[in-house]
Amino acid sequence: METVGVPTQYYQLVAALLFTIGLVGVLVRRSALIIFMSIELMLNAVNLSFVAFSRQHGQMDGQIFVFFVMAVAAAEAGVGLAIILAVFRHKQSVSLQNMNLLKD
Amino acid sequence: MIESAVKVLIVLGFVLIAVPFIVWMERKVIGHMQDRIGPQRVGPFGLLQTIADGIKLFFKEDLIPSQADRVVFFLAPALSVITAFVALSVVPFGDKVTVFGREVPLHVADVNVAILWVLGTTSMGVYGIVLGGWASNSKYPLLGGLRSSAQMISYELAQGISLVSVILMTGTLSLAGIVRQQEHLWFIVPQFFAFVIFLLCGIAETNRAPFDLPEAETELVAGFHTEFSSMKFALYFLAEYANMMVVSAVAISVFFGGWRGPFLPPVAWFLIKLSLFLFFFVWLRATFPRLRYDQLMAFGWKVLLPASLLNLAVTAVVVALSG
Amino acid sequence: MGEAILFTLFSVSAVVFSLGMVFRRNAVHCALHLVGVLLSLSGMFVLLHAQFIAAIQILVYAGAIMVLFLFVVMLLNVRGETPLLTPGAAKGFGFLFAFIVFVELLWVVVSQGGSEAEPAPVRVLPPGFGSPAEIGRILYTTWLFPFEVTSILLMIAVVGAVVLAKRKFA
Repeated sequence: METVGVPTQYYQLVAALLFTIGLVGVLVRRSALIIFMSIELMLNAVNLSFVAFSRQHGQMDGQIFVFFVMAVAAAEAGVGLAIILAVFRHKQSVSLQNMNLLKD
Repeated sequence: MIESAVKVLIVLGFVLIAVPFIVWMERKVIGHMQDRIGPQRVGPFGLLQTIADGIKLFFKEDLIPSQADRVVFFLAPALSVITAFVALSVVPFGDKVTVFGREVPLHVADVNVAILWVLGTTSMGVYGIVLGGWASNSKYPLLGGLRSSAQMISYELAQGISLVSVILMTGTLSLAGIVRQQEHLWFIVPQFFAFVIFLLCGIAETNRAPFDLPEAETELVAGFHTEFSSMKFALYFLAEYANMMVVSAVAISVFFGGWRGPFLPPVAWFLIKLSLFLFFFVWLRATFPRLRYDQLMAFGWKVLLPASLLNLAVTAVVVALSG
Repeated sequence: MGEAILFTLFSVSAVVFSLGMVFRRNAVHCALHLVGVLLSLSGMFVLLHAQFIAAIQILVYAGAIMVLFLFVVMLLNVRGETPLLTPGAAKGFGFLFAFIVFVELLWVVVSQGGSEAEPAPVRVLPPGFGSPAEIGRILYTTWLFPFEVTSILLMIAVVGAVVLAKRKFA
């Protein structure tokens, strides 16, 4: 099946843009939940990159990687949200400036 | 392109016309099962009762709670309805027909991952409920919405795994392909347990009795749709019955041979089987008391999920051994 | 031609939703914008002949993981924090650093492929590329070991989440 169409560079560009937006979210927002969501956004940008390369080279390995990334992201979301819940019970807040127990 | 648009309109029109009919059927059947008559005054045999109710709902005041999130409040019922209708787009209603010299298959889209598509859209349907519960900005709807969505995502697992047992036998995920393979033997015969599990999960997915605690009138006021009035409530109502049709249609296509049957045209057989399934849903509602929430969740996780996994393992062994 | 239109549509919606996600105050709105990004990406996966991954993205990511996020947001009843972004110099450094990363990524992307006249060569895809059958075949032969390890990882995550989120009985 012939594939001409949108060149891979455009997909990579979108992936880079989404990754950067996620990075901004991680660096600049103060709520732990929003930062977590920004991390998920970065993971998705990487997924897009993998799938685009997979099509370019005609090999399925990129898509298998995405499969594993999704499984790991699910595991990470579960544990991470449990951690946020546990911290919230103590601090009654998810704002990062309250999570400073290790600071001197 | 044109034929897809026409098919979409036909399916949409069919569901919109069928739902009032199903509601009438439910009220009459439950009435007779409870030794009373049900609606009988509006139109012959009360047939126009649902239309009268629809007109009433249309003219009711559309209340929005004061601190409710307006955008999400507006979006939630729409999401429920959209996902229900979109899931219907891959169901084969009949075999090919020849219109104006062209062969037209009777499903809106033949996706080669049709079962995944249906499962995906029904899992998106959870959003309509959880967002509706949250957007009302009120205790009972929030609790009802959270409970209902937890119930739905719990039963999605066993539903998917029970379908995987059938997919092991067919080798294709496309619903049209699965119906085509049931020429000699309907899959209900070798996969009876998968059907039972799928049906129970389907009843829990659509929040129908006896799994309807999150939206029952006597508990939690009315659950997640307490604060919705007028057309938004009508949309939720429509979404619930459309979801029932989705579950029935998938069960028919996967286990009961889809549109296959002697003498009558395929679409007629599909409609007959669909009617039998919907009657079964109503019959269950009239017969069983509802499960308590912890019983419901325990049933889904501790009974249905291991049973579906066991069924899958046995099916896999049999398929591997027989070639 | 159709692919170009759909690509533009999906990529614009993904970027708009992601910007909305990062800069909105209400946590539930952020989660919904992220769901919008996931659905747009799912559409792009279909364009890239990855039908199974697209379906799994909707089923697992948008349908389960984000519902979990929404649950936690609703249960914790997180209100928007009053200064939205980190105050002071840290905000400036954050934007600067992200901009530098973007420039780097852009340079890599642009220098890698050909110019507009000759786009990077795209191979002819084998039949069944991206279908569940193909994914299953590779997953259970070449990638069997990571598959099994992932299942153990998921079990660890389930146990971890239950232990961390449990209330300690006093």
